Amino acid sequence: MISEPRLYGAAIVAMVLSALLMYLVPLIPQVVIDGVLLESGEGPSSFERFILSLLGGSEFVGRNLWWPGLVILFLSVLAGAFAYFRGAFSAKATERIVQRMRDNLYQKLQRAPVGFIDRSETGDLIQRCTSDVDTVRIFLSAQVVEVARAIAMLIVPLPFMLLISPVMTLASIVFLPVIVIFAFFYFKRIRVAFLDVDEAEADLTSTVQENISGIRVVRAFAQQEQECEKFDGRNGRHRDLDNHLYRVLAWFWSISDLMCMSQKIIVVGLGLVLLGLGHLEVGAFFFFLTVVSMFVWPIRQMGRILADLGKAQVALGRIGHVLEQPEESHGETGVELARESLAGAISFRGVTFSHPESDPVLHDISFEVAAGSTIALVGPSGCGKSTIINLLMRFYEPDEGSIELDGIRLSEIDRTSLRSNLSVVMQEPFLYSRSLMDNLAMGRDGAEEREIVEATTVASIHDSIMEFEEGYSTVVGERGLTLSGGQRQRLSIARALLRDPAVLVLDDALSAVDTKTERAILAALKDRKHRHTTILIAHRLTTVMQADEVLVLDEGRIVDRGSHDELLKRQGIYRRFWDIQHKGMDSLNDDSSGDSA
Amino acid sequence: MSQGTPHVEDVLGTIDRGLWRRIASHGRPYSSSAIAMVIGGVLIAVVESMLPLVTGWLVDAVVDQSSPTRMTWLGILYVSLCVGFCVLVWWFIVAAGRLATGLAHDLRQASFKRLQQLEFEYFDLQPAGWLVSRLTSDCRKVASLMPWFLLDLCWGITFLILVATAMLLIDYELALYVMTIVPILVVVTFYFQGKLLRSSRLMRKTNSELTAVYNEGIMGVRTTKSLTREQENLSEFQVVSDTMHRHSMTNAIQTSIFLPIVTSVGSIGVGIALWAGGLQIADGEGLSIGMLVAFMQYAVLFAMPVQELAARLSDLKGAQAAAERIQGLLDRVPAIRDSDEVLDRMREMQGVTSDELAIDGGDADINTIEFKDVSFWYKQGEPVLLNLDLAIRPKETIALVGPTGVGKTTIASLLCRFYEPCEGGIYINDVEYRKRSLHWLQSNLGIVLQHPHLFSGTVAQNIAYGMPGISKDRIIQAATQVEAHGFIEQMPQGYESEVGEGGGRLSIGQRQLIALARAVLADPQVFVMDEATSSVDTETEHHIQQGIEAALADRIAVVIAHRLSTVRSADRILVVESGQIVEQGSHAALLEAGGAYRELYRRHFAGSS
Repeated sequence: MISEPRLYGAAIVAMVLSALLMYLVPLIPQVVIDGVLLESGEGPSSFERFILSLLGGSEFVGRNLWWPGLVILFLSVLAGAFAYFRGAFSAKATERIVQRMRDNLYQKLQRAPVGFIDRSETGDLIQRCTSDVDTVRIFLSAQVVEVARAIAMLIVPLPFMLLISPVMTLASIVFLPVIVIFAFFYFKRIRVAFLDVDEAEADLTSTVQENISGIRVVRAFAQQEQECEKFDGRNGRHRDLDNHLYRVLAWFWSISDLMCMSQKIIVVGLGLVLLGLGHLEVGAFFFFLTVVSMFVWPIRQMGRILADLGKAQVALGRIGHVLEQPEESHGETGVELARESLAGAISFRGVTFSHPESDPVLHDISFEVAAGSTIALVGPSGCGKSTIINLLMRFYEPDEGSIELDGIRLSEIDRTSLRSNLSVVMQEPFLYSRSLMDNLAMGRDGAEEREIVEATTVASIHDSIMEFEEGYSTVVGERGLTLSGGQRQRLSIARALLRDPAVLVLDDALSAVDTKTERAILAALKDRKHRHTTILIAHRLTTVMQADEVLVLDEGRIVDRGSHDELLKRQGIYRRFWDIQHKGMDSLNDDSSGDSA
Repeated sequence: MSQGTPHVEDVLGTIDRGLWRRIASHGRPYSSSAIAMVIGGVLIAVVESMLPLVTGWLVDAVVDQSSPTRMTWLGILYVSLCVGFCVLVWWFIVAAGRLATGLAHDLRQASFKRLQQLEFEYFDLQPAGWLVSRLTSDCRKVASLMPWFLLDLCWGITFLILVATAMLLIDYELALYVMTIVPILVVVTFYFQGKLLRSSRLMRKTNSELTAVYNEGIMGVRTTKSLTREQENLSEFQVVSDTMHRHSMTNAIQTSIFLPIVTSVGSIGVGIALWAGGLQIADGEGLSIGMLVAFMQYAVLFAMPVQELAARLSDLKGAQAAAERIQGLLDRVPAIRDSDEVLDRMREMQGVTSDELAIDGGDADINTIEFKDVSFWYKQGEPVLLNLDLAIRPKETIALVGPTGVGKTTIASLLCRFYEPCEGGIYINDVEYRKRSLHWLQSNLGIVLQHPHLFSGTVAQNIAYGMPGISKDRIIQAATQVEAHGFIEQMPQGYESEVGEGGGRLSIGQRQLIALARAVLADPQVFVMDEATSSVDTETEHHIQQGIEAALADRIAVVIAHRLSTVRSADRILVVESGQIVEQGSHAALLEAGGAYRELYRRHFAGSS
């Protein structure tokens, strides 16, 4: 495969050749007019005689006027072929670079630590991966090429022009610097107008977005008219700014057109004078007129593109910021865990953790979970329960202390191997927009249907799936069926079970499941207890009461621990939660003791 | 890939003229700009087609050594044509701006207004992002191509006619020879525009796929890492990025082959002009050198208008889908709206102020609400509610309980007239609510939903939503009543803290509390709470219980909750199962009865003896 720099080099060569040929085309009618058709005047210059001799001499051309016509066509086709090569080569190199950029970005997003994603806004990241990449693509494939073409178009004909008439050459380029400088500075100055419109449009978009996602609230408060007014204000502002931009551009195009026209007027004016004085041939005049029309427009574009270069630079910087992020170490020479010999004992020793530049989330956390047992974490929201899971999964690394699995420090275990043996189900689980079967099979490649049904049965979701028209082939997510929160949770539990993990973590993963189903799932999980260690996080205390040990967390510390019964006796925070949640129990027990055993 | 002739048809064949006429009719307020553009387009064509001719005259005048006055006049004509051209450029861009931005504005305005009227079913079916792009990119696309289409149509056609006329006038025989390239130009141009339209469509489609995959990669990063699927995901991504590469290359190759071919066809014209024109001059048949120069310039000029016309038609075709979507949205009749009868009464009531009469002339107060024989289904044949009867008495708090998916939320949605019964009717003070104003009903309801939506802005602004100018004290009072005051005070800027997009900086529980405060502050006649405190933590929920009870007293309230501790204090509890009320009564009475409620209750606390 040819390297990209070589492709660009080839594109430049093709571009120069194409420009050269394009200028030869107007040269043909010039020499024919001056050397063959026109009897008056001084006769052709030596250069024109040279070209004419290449065509077969004035005698031959005069007798066969179809011949120069054919040469014009031939040269055009050849110029076109080189122009095509220029486009094809530069596109090939650019698209390759861009694809590599896209792939690297995706890989980076997959491999960067979770913390980076957490700190970033999704929309912003996506913009970096799509529209910023596109800006770079346009820069490479169009803008660089445009500027190079403008320069080639200007430089290539210069020797010919100088040969024919140095005075006319000077007249042909005298106004160009003004055109470029005007375009450059004008666009620099009106960048604000572009930014204003972009901003107003973003404003408009977020107004619509909010209105639609909050449409129920809008209706519930009968605020349609106020919302319309709010929208009208932003819509009007956007129109005015956009209209202003059009006006600013109208001035630019008309003034720069006037400048380009002036350049042509200078050529025509001086040319006519020289023509009148007999210092210039008609054919040469035609040549200069054509050449000026050919390079004046690309040169005008050049100023505008140069002013726009800042955009590409900003986009590159934004892409670079993502690509610079460190990756989670993968394939490091860590311990590979073998599932068969893995028991699933966990120990936290003096673990402290804080997010960058903020107060610690966890203080000196220590606990042990025996292999195959069930531990529950309870406490108010924000007390650090989920952080413990993040540390266990090595989404984050502890600041102090150590975490061990079967007596091996997590930091010594190969990250992929560690995660393959742990399964976490989150409160708001993520499903890929594919079929249910694909989502489940992601748990383990090559899982048999029997195993999948077994897992979905334990998670109490099999029957619901069978009720869907397309069963396990139902596509879910953005482009498919929207599942309820409870269904998503149950599906993810099934997915987690399929992995046959050594440690199963349910991080508030039953919150959207109704009580009856929850009990069924917990009971089924209990039957498989010997197969994995379980960590349960829940608000509902009835969920956690079967755990072998319950850890009560508050503000990042373990404030109490013990079995459900022990904790109930202690009159602490656990007892208080229990009482609040079970206020109604008394009335039930009063008239039916023994029924609820 | 299918190849062949359909490309030409792609550009021309399927343009829906009726649709575009309707879109254009939205631009009627800007018809003066449109007329300005038509005039500008025609004039610019005149100026542009005259320039080569005047250049030719000038050359002849010099060669023939004409009088200085003639040369001066021709010079002045040439310069003023150039200046006139620039003035016209300014003129049509300004007119185009007015037309494009005005049309976009009006289309957006109308679409937004329509969105405010459409029923929820519509929103249930369309993803939010899809609707947003109707109002943003689709409107922009459709509106901004209009002026350029108009301009290039007028300019292109006039220009073609004028160039042809000029050539025919100079030398009709030579003109006919040169014009043989026009059909070739048309075929080539339309063929390539068709191809380009296709490949750029494929590029756009793949690009949105690419965006979706990135989105999934970011949103699902934890899941991906948990399932250790980084490598698989990357290979799947590469399939899409390969496709994108392929389509981009196709498009780039087509673009770079298109222009050279058009230029080459143009040069055939120049070749013919030189050959045939040169023969005439050599034979001394009267064609002047200057006119030959003009002729050759004209021969090149044919390509431009043909190319522009094809490009604009292709734009039109490319934006047709967007135009259809906008027009479709505007044409959609809201399924839930005030009847003509209600609208008539509201017109009559305009200017009348009364405490007892609402804006539609009916009762202002809501005393009773009654569901009579109500059936409802989202999908024919799968009723969610079947012949439901339910009478809510004045100032009564009722609670709906039962397993997920039995129709509790549907009952609330029907009450709020977010949906209407498919059969039966809902009566407010014995008047069927479809005979009342929708706006009146909804502005008297306080609705708090399980997934509360906050608007970006401050906490205070969100609590005071719909009540601008209300005092800070009352905001604090409402927040205090639902126990939100404590956590709000702890936020860095207290009530002035930004909640972030969609309330993203707050936990779901906190969002629920703010939504609750918002409803309490609005002081509605009827409260509807659908799982309004499901994510509030146990202790807080316990604390707000009293505040909520106070808020619900003295008005009709409908409460839906999973947590049975929340519903115990209701005047009446209704157990819903498969779209019907199977049991009702007070908490104590229902426990006593030992039916479905007791079973539900027992299960809720089971195992905790």
